[in-house]
Amino acid sequence: MIPVGRRNLQGNHACAYAAIAAGCRFYAGYPITPSSEIAEKMSLELPRVQGVFVQMEDEIASMGAVIGASLGGVKAMTATSGPGFSLKQENLGYAAMVEVPCVIIDVMRGGPSTGMPTRPAQGDLMQARWGTHGDHPIVVVTPASVGEIYTETVRAFDLAERLRTPVIVLYDETVGHLVETVDVPDLSDVTSAQRKWASGPKETFLPYADPGDGVPEMVRPGDGYRCHTTGLTHGENGFPTQRPAEVEEMTRRLLGKLERHRDVIDRFETVRTGDAHIVVVAVGIAARAARRAVVEARAKGIAAGLFRPITLWPFPEAAFREVVAGADAVLVVEMNAGQLALEIERLVGRRGKVARLNRISGEPIGPDEILANIEELARHGHR
Amino acid sequence: MDTASANDFDIRDYLRVELLPHFMCPGCGHGIALRALLWAVHDLKLAKDRLAIVSGIGCSGRVGAYIDANTFHVTHGRPLAFATGLALARPDLEVIVITGDGDCLAIGGNHLIHACRRNLHLTCLMFNNEIYGMTGGQVSPTTADDRLTTTTPYGNAEPSFDACALAAAAGASFVGRGMTLQTVALKNLIRDAISHRGFSFVEVISDCTEIFGRKNDLGSSPEMILRQKGSMKPDTYGNVVDRPFRPNAVQTGVLARNDRPEYGDAYRAAVLGAAGAAVAG
Amino acid sequence: MNVEHRPAVPTNVLIVGVGGQGVIMVSKVLASLCQQAGLEVKQSEVHGMAKRGGSVFSHVRFGETVLSPMIAHGEADIMVALEWAEGLRWLDYLKRDGGTFIADTQQIVPPVSFRNRRRGARSGYAPATPAEVIDLVGNGFALDATRMAAGLGNERVANTVLLGALSTALPFPREGWLGVLDGLVPPKTTEVNRRAFDAGREWVQNFDRPAEQAAAAVAVPVSGDGLDHRLEITEAWCKGCDICVKMCPERCLTLNARHIVELTDPAACTACRLCEWLCPDFAIRVLTASAPAPALAK
Repeated sequence: MIPVGRRNLQGNHACAYAAIAAGCRFYAGYPITPSSEIAEKMSLELPRVQGVFVQMEDEIASMGAVIGASLGGVKAMTATSGPGFSLKQENLGYAAMVEVPCVIIDVMRGGPSTGMPTRPAQGDLMQARWGTHGDHPIVVVTPASVGEIYTETVRAFDLAERLRTPVIVLYDETVGHLVETVDVPDLSDVTSAQRKWASGPKETFLPYADPGDGVPEMVRPGDGYRCHTTGLTHGENGFPTQRPAEVEEMTRRLLGKLERHRDVIDRFETVRTGDAHIVVVAVGIAARAARRAVVEARAKGIAAGLFRPITLWPFPEAAFREVVAGADAVLVVEMNAGQLALEIERLVGRRGKVARLNRISGEPIGPDEILANIEELARHGHR
Repeated sequence: MDTASANDFDIRDYLRVELLPHFMCPGCGHGIALRALLWAVHDLKLAKDRLAIVSGIGCSGRVGAYIDANTFHVTHGRPLAFATGLALARPDLEVIVITGDGDCLAIGGNHLIHACRRNLHLTCLMFNNEIYGMTGGQVSPTTADDRLTTTTPYGNAEPSFDACALAAAAGASFVGRGMTLQTVALKNLIRDAISHRGFSFVEVISDCTEIFGRKNDLGSSPEMILRQKGSMKPDTYGNVVDRPFRPNAVQTGVLARNDRPEYGDAYRAAVLGAAGAAVAG
Repeated sequence: MNVEHRPAVPTNVLIVGVGGQGVIMVSKVLASLCQQAGLEVKQSEVHGMAKRGGSVFSHVRFGETVLSPMIAHGEADIMVALEWAEGLRWLDYLKRDGGTFIADTQQIVPPVSFRNRRRGARSGYAPATPAEVIDLVGNGFALDATRMAAGLGNERVANTVLLGALSTALPFPREGWLGVLDGLVPPKTTEVNRRAFDAGREWVQNFDRPAEQAAAAVAVPVSGDGLDHRLEITEAWCKGCDICVKMCPERCLTLNARHIVELTDPAACTACRLCEWLCPDFAIRVLTASAPAPALAK
């Protein structure tokens, strides 16, 4: 049964409950550590709400089945970890191209390859953005707590449906397996959008025409529109095209779609950044340690702050630029060899120093270490 | 025989005629296979709105676009995976997969055997032309011994798959093989495959005239389609016999059929039933 | 081989067509010929996935020195189009003053040329007539190379017919072209390719013919079994694969000069439907008098 009220919940279980609350009625997956609890919970709970759970033959098929179900008009989700996420990239690109709403959970573990299945890492930040080939739109959210896994999974479905795009919920093994006390909202209080269905005259309907907001209405089989859906570059009528002007126009709409909806996509948290000279940037479990480090730095008189992207991609650029406008050093803390730092360095440019704190040992980064790095920056005059 | 059916069947009622002529080469068997499919759809009086066609990549994958139905052209080798999701989510749709020998047996081989095992109500039509035509004529898992392709310039040394035996062994509850030469028998076979409740696999022997035919000196389009008579056992539909017509002939008709439970029904009865009882209790 | 004309500015030849027509063969002959003449050649092409009706093009640039491999818009001295609409598509690459346009009037209609999903909608395919295009470019030759090749016994050598036409616009001697051609085609087709080359060459040299247009669809009454049936042929869909002609038990079908199916003996046709069933392109339909009104599926 889906719990309501104050509960102790595991991150992965919170993810499954949130999906069902958001209206997910189809799950296809393949077992992989450390995400398997999501599949197990979905196999238990989905049938209770007349939903479908299916364990597919592999990761590729799971992603295909999720897209197939969504094309049928049902909210659908899958969950995986690094190696499986790599396999899903092919069909993930299809979902982005064809504009199929779907949610993919990636519980990050140590990599590359099989890596360390039971150890946390944040090595998929770039794969989540650029894992599939070609220019494509994608939304990636990075919750840092069990409660936020719940709210962000709900929001992931909301964004997927509103924007007709795959949305990735990216968190590390630590948060996935963390048990925290959370307030689970009543199901009736959970709201998640439903995609716009095709409307208007059937004879002249164009499945990829821009209705004004960059997000085309979606055809549901059985409604009488009988359209064609293809991963080939297609025109407004859904059929393949190679006319340069048409290709350019459609691709620009596809890529611009997210930019036009930054108001609902962008989400971030700031901690004492108003007067911060040193801004720490981190996501997921690393951000929780960073929060404590910032508080301790303040106690020592260092003007430190934290910028935590909750929507990682597209990166909340405008808010970040504002936060670092008055800072002269940025410390990027991440459990990889330096991925988010690349984006931060791009955004900060020559206006300030960007320092990195990376951990690739399979262990989380502690607040002490982050504090030490903040103090080091402060000693060099970045107060 | 089928006179009434043939009389009131106008293939244009099921085609996106504005897309014709189609992109396939002169003499390509895929057009005939498409006719057989649409004729079967007509015989079954399936509503076009309820018909979902899922196809993969390759020449076979492009066939779906010409059908006036809900058509999905997905990634290479994955149409069965997409179709599984679609059919499970929407049991009210009639989902038909069009795939090719490379799409289905090479890159999509894993999906095929598990779709056979699962026995979800789907119809999988594998257009077998023994070649990767779209990419210019490379060897496929069904290319016969010694055949020349652009990647077997000295002849093919690999043995080929018997797709029907594979599907039957993996548990498909309806397995059949038909050839484009026998359009009416092929239509009837596809009609029964669609009607069958469970996973149906139909191998359609189709000719790649422009690439495979030319590369292997198999003659003109009419010569190639007539060749089916010699290499296939020209069985009448439904008449399954043990001994092939000639030693190397490939048998056509219904090759396997059973009534084991359809996965969607089983899921709804067992899983949803038990979960519902748990909720009520 | 000696070439007197050795301009400092490279010569640009653009060869376009669709998959399977032999665009690459034409450009290979030209490139080899230039190389033999001691010129620097750059040949850049798109093919592969373009198999089966997709657009294929080849840029050939040659001269004393050639830097860029690609021809810019409006810079092609000569364009050879193996397929009519491809010629139109690439027309803005041709030099407006003095560019030479050589095209086969054969049309191979690709699905992408249809923009409207409504049934019965008109295609926007290649609306310009050969006369209009030739007026536009000033120096143009639109010949039915496919038909000429078929007349020589092998429609596959249509590209060689156009190669012959191309040869009249470049300063290489006939023997040089034929020498390279002989080396590139299968030995058993040497003779037909040579004849095709000369046919194309002579056609341009005697250029005065208007180009031809495609015909419309037809429905012919048939009476072979004593009933009042009709055989409907959609010419635009027929690809001339010959299956219906060879399979017809009554031998009442044939491929006409344009390689399109034609009913030659309506009195012999028994409306057995073999042609309808085996036509991969849905170009033939047998309409029986007793047929009920088609029940449109919805």
